[in-house]
Amino acid sequence: MTAAPEELYAERERRFNDAVALKGTDVIPVMPLTVHNFPTRLKGISNKVAGYDHEARWQATKEATLRFGWNFAPTNDVLASDFFASFGSKQMMWAGEEGGLADDAPHQWVEDEYVKADELEEFIADPNGFTFTRIFPRMGSRLEGLGQVPLPPLYWFSNAYYLQVLGNMLGIPPVREALRAFLDMADAQAKTNAANARYLQEMKDLGYPPTWAAAIMPAFDVCSDTLRSLRGSTLDMFRQPDTLLKAIDVMQEATLGLVHAAFAVTGVPRQFIPMHKGAAGFMSNEQYARFYWPTFKALIEECIAAGITPVPLFEGDYTPRLEFLAELPPGKVAAHFDRVDRKKFKEVCGDVLCFWGNVPASLLVTGTPQQVKDDVKELIDLFGETGLIIDGPGTIPDQAKPENVEALAEAVEEYGRR
Amino acid sequence: MSKELTNAIVGMDEAEAMRLVDEMLDAGADPADVLEEAKAAMTVLGEKFECEEAFIPELIMGGEIMKGIADELKPHITGGSTAQKRGTVVLGTVAGDIHDIGKDVVVLMLDVNGYDVHDLGIDVPVEQFVEAVKELKPQVVGLSGLLTLAFDSMKATIDGIAAAGLRDQVKVMIGGSPVDEQVCAYTGADGWGRDAAAAVRMVAEWTGSAA
Repeated sequence: MTAAPEELYAERERRFNDAVALKGTDVIPVMPLTVHNFPTRLKGISNKVAGYDHEARWQATKEATLRFGWNFAPTNDVLASDFFASFGSKQMMWAGEEGGLADDAPHQWVEDEYVKADELEEFIADPNGFTFTRIFPRMGSRLEGLGQVPLPPLYWFSNAYYLQVLGNMLGIPPVREALRAFLDMADAQAKTNAANARYLQEMKDLGYPPTWAAAIMPAFDVCSDTLRSLRGSTLDMFRQPDTLLKAIDVMQEATLGLVHAAFAVTGVPRQFIPMHKGAAGFMSNEQYARFYWPTFKALIEECIAAGITPVPLFEGDYTPRLEFLAELPPGKVAAHFDRVDRKKFKEVCGDVLCFWGNVPASLLVTGTPQQVKDDVKELIDLFGETGLIIDGPGTIPDQAKPENVEALAEAVEEYGRR
Repeated sequence: MSKELTNAIVGMDEAEAMRLVDEMLDAGADPADVLEEAKAAMTVLGEKFECEEAFIPELIMGGEIMKGIADELKPHITGGSTAQKRGTVVLGTVAGDIHDIGKDVVVLMLDVNGYDVHDLGIDVPVEQFVEAVKELKPQVVGLSGLLTLAFDSMKATIDGIAAAGLRDQVKVMIGGSPVDEQVCAYTGADGWGRDAAAAVRMVAEWTGSAA
């Protein structure tokens, strides 16, 4: 007899939660943390079309989830191209003429100093005003007019008489253009949200919980990836370390606020935390301890205190940071790895963190099903008795061979049942 | 010559390094010698990077201090550099990929190690690599990529170099976070690495210029 969807839903959540709690599971879950263009490419849909056709993207994700035996409904992390087009994004590039990349390319971030070194203090002093009048215009061509708004504190307009002044400011043509861009952003986001909501409901009806619903970066990555760039944040570490630390504190307040705001809207008790600049090579352990670790640890603890399972994605090699990660609360974190020394992980963090990952992209794209199975077996032998979730390095690579992706679940059938 | 300037740069003390440069110029030092001492600091940083005593921040900051010193010395240096280059390398991020952090660090490290480095930039089409090999006759071509689409772009680039009859003239190295032995075999590259230290090692070996 087939189980009812609500029973399957509960069973799949239990498997995930048991793995996170390091209790072991009856069947080791195969769960892509994210997918990008893999599901649509299987159907012959170009990356360009997938970025605009939200319905096609989510339906392809549904089909892939059922075909490949995934435990949860993964989040398709292909960003909605029409959203970024709506304000003339300069930070994000995507497939197609409008987005500036080839039809077959994934979306890609343009790292730059969106806040200059000598502007960082100004940002810290007034993060709201600075973001509105300086960063927004640098993010999108249609938002450039906001740079012309001499934004005073909003309470200056706290009566209808003074509001006329605001009316004058908003009437300038480039500012009107920016206001229209905001409305277009809202329309574009509503379209992709509707397709996403349909997917989530259909998956729920089939007994699949959502993997996660919102991505929130640690404060250091927000400062480095999005405000100052690697070069900028690096020079800050040497030339104005205290100012950088103050900016990290400002972003930490926003980061923790976003955790609660996202949970209130989505109700999904799993928080995706993508990370970049804390990996091996990007800094020393001393620099990591000073600039990265304190706010990252606090972010993890904030999620746990709110009843949310943190799902950090440690992109790059994290072997040198394992001693830090061993300090996190045991049995509470679904730690997804891209590259790490697995044996050292078991030794240092094996009784603290659930291991999620990490069949290499190279095997999924260029290897054979047997190579993939052998790799999954190694993971099962190491972590199968405690906490293990099987995935690629953070996503199913767009170019993965379908038979190699099938091999993930086949390996669990062969080696991962108790 | 004292090692004070080298030590200041290796110690990431930018203000002290600039002060020492001024002091050396005031004392009548040959600006070309000052520049050589500054460059020696980058070699030390490269060695520290290789044994994990320095990391990308020190390379970036070291490069920044070097740039400041070179800018200050430029008006005082007459004639071009007479230093013999250790070999020629053409580098770029392959077609479809616009990530440049890894490539830029490799370019910086090869440059300070005395190689003639030609950076073709990001999202570089196959034909551009082929043309650069024809024109610049490098001993080594470096292909960088962060995305998995880069595997095919790297393979296409190497195939393109072979189709132009140039494969025997160059060694090809590939690099980037998802690159490993498996990808190396898939693309037909001669070697692979995940950081600038590995790149410098391969180039030194292939150009017969290992220290």
